[in-house]
Amino acid sequence: MTALVPELRVLVCGTADRGDDGAALAAITHALPDLPEHVRCRIEVRRCPQLDVTDIIDLHDGESCLVVDTVVGVEPGTIVTMSLDELARRAGSITPRSSHALSVDDTLLIAEAVRGTMPPGAFVGIGGKWFGYGERFSRVVKAGLPALADAIRDAIEALLLARR
Amino acid sequence: MGHGGDLRFQVENLTRVEGEGSLHLRVRDGVVREAHLEIFEAPRYFEALVVGRTPDEIIDIVARICGICPVAYQMSAVHAFESLFEVAVHTQVRALRRLLYCAEWIESHALHIYLLHAPDFLGYPSAVELARDHRELVTDGLRLKKAGNHLLSTLGGRPIHPVSVRVGGFSRMPRKAELMALRPILEEALALSLATVDVAVGLHGPDFEREPRLVALRHPTEYPLNDGRIVSSDGVDLAPPDWDEAFHEVQVPWSNALQSRADDGLPYLLGPSARIVLAGEQLHPLAKEALARTGALDSIRRNPYRSIVARAVELVHVTAEALDIIDAYERPDRPSVPAVARPGVAAWATEAPRGLLFHKYVVGEDGKVEAATIVPPTSQNQAAIEADLATFAPRILDLPIGDATHQLEQLIRSYDPCISCATHFLDLSVEQIP
Repeated sequence: MTALVPELRVLVCGTADRGDDGAALAAITHALPDLPEHVRCRIEVRRCPQLDVTDIIDLHDGESCLVVDTVVGVEPGTIVTMSLDELARRAGSITPRSSHALSVDDTLLIAEAVRGTMPPGAFVGIGGKWFGYGERFSRVVKAGLPALADAIRDAIEALLLARR
Repeated sequence: MGHGGDLRFQVENLTRVEGEGSLHLRVRDGVVREAHLEIFEAPRYFEALVVGRTPDEIIDIVARICGICPVAYQMSAVHAFESLFEVAVHTQVRALRRLLYCAEWIESHALHIYLLHAPDFLGYPSAVELARDHRELVTDGLRLKKAGNHLLSTLGGRPIHPVSVRVGGFSRMPRKAELMALRPILEEALALSLATVDVAVGLHGPDFEREPRLVALRHPTEYPLNDGRIVSSDGVDLAPPDWDEAFHEVQVPWSNALQSRADDGLPYLLGPSARIVLAGEQLHPLAKEALARTGALDSIRRNPYRSIVARAVELVHVTAEALDIIDAYERPDRPSVPAVARPGVAAWATEAPRGLLFHKYVVGEDGKVEAATIVPPTSQNQAAIEADLATFAPRILDLPIGDATHQLEQLIRSYDPCISCATHFLDLSVEQIP
């Protein structure tokens, strides 16, 4: 599935045993098999429980990046899509003061500073509701997984198309 | 602000520390009467959450207290239960637990030195701005942190909240080849750690000195991670389960975190500086050499801003020790030995990246926990931080509020506080009373 020189890196965030936090993992397993082979061979899929600067800074020139995760601050089940640049600079965003884990904003902005440019890419997420222990999803997120998988496929195709 | 009358000074939101809190100073006639580190992060009730759970469940639950030091919580808990159950683990299990701890220290220290603390010394508001002008410096820090992540993933199953630690050993022991594959990454990390010491020793904060009471584990043959005796700079010498024979928790009205005091009621300081001073003899030879080159041992003891040098020296220690452990590793036949629960009190202390972490559990006849006490390092350091703030604050009272806030935040960041652990940071206010 992974091309020798991938054109798109898909970063699948979250952990499977924290309820809705595992939504990206579940959705990607539905999204990938439906992609045409000529698309799948151009992408590289990585699991990253927590988005890290080092997941982004070594993208090669021209390689795009798609980040998939569960989000809070929107209605549970809502699909959220935006560019990485928007994600890093969104006004009025909720930025946790906790910094032992860098916020998504800081992670992207540090990556931009180190690379010199923000990597081209997008974020696709779903609003989560329940983040307790266990592998089950909240009803609203479970119902939203097909839409999340569709949004992932759309984002992959759009990012690859944009390279041409 | 000024010197006449009373003054209240408030830092509303402390940045680049873990968790949420504020600092409130109350000043009368230029003298700081109160310095309160107000921790308003919500209580997290982990000590109640573990009641009714089995020891193995608890090891996974307490890891969730912190995203940057989950291993510390697992280590204090597993050693407590194994001590009560009289479980003797395989020597390679013991070594692998040290390796797991090394991974956590690499991650935590690299993050703090490069992304949280260095911007203070170099005049940047955050790591983002630092990265724009010092790309190589930040990249080095990220590579170091990633080395810790790799090691933690290999041993613990994932880079955050590892899941492999069990009473009696591990759920799985890695193959030698898996660990040897990490060698190049750790060799680079060792080189980066040695370079970090050179960077850190050149970073100077304010010339602020005091003589804190220091507390750390000390072991006769190894640098303290998960074993040793609790010792202090003024003569305390206790077995790891006996922390509460010399220290106790107190509740203060301005904090959701319990504070700790020595039994004479006075504060004490934990963490890298305390360990270097009290247990530096057991540093890895490479770390010992690096420390000697800095000539900073005395200033590490007296000046809180030099904790960045102590952390850098410890980075050398844990990367060097990690390589040694990997070289000597032989996979045992079984990942764990059987453990039979028994009723009683299970207690132990280990060295989290930011200091001594004490756990105590009452285990019932059914092998489940009936009561728990978890005393994180930030709770223990809180009173010492407040004492240092009160001593330091008079020199910033005439500064513009932004500069004063920055200097106080920098001092607090020197202790690398983890408030989420302790509530389980900074809004600054200075109050001048008419």
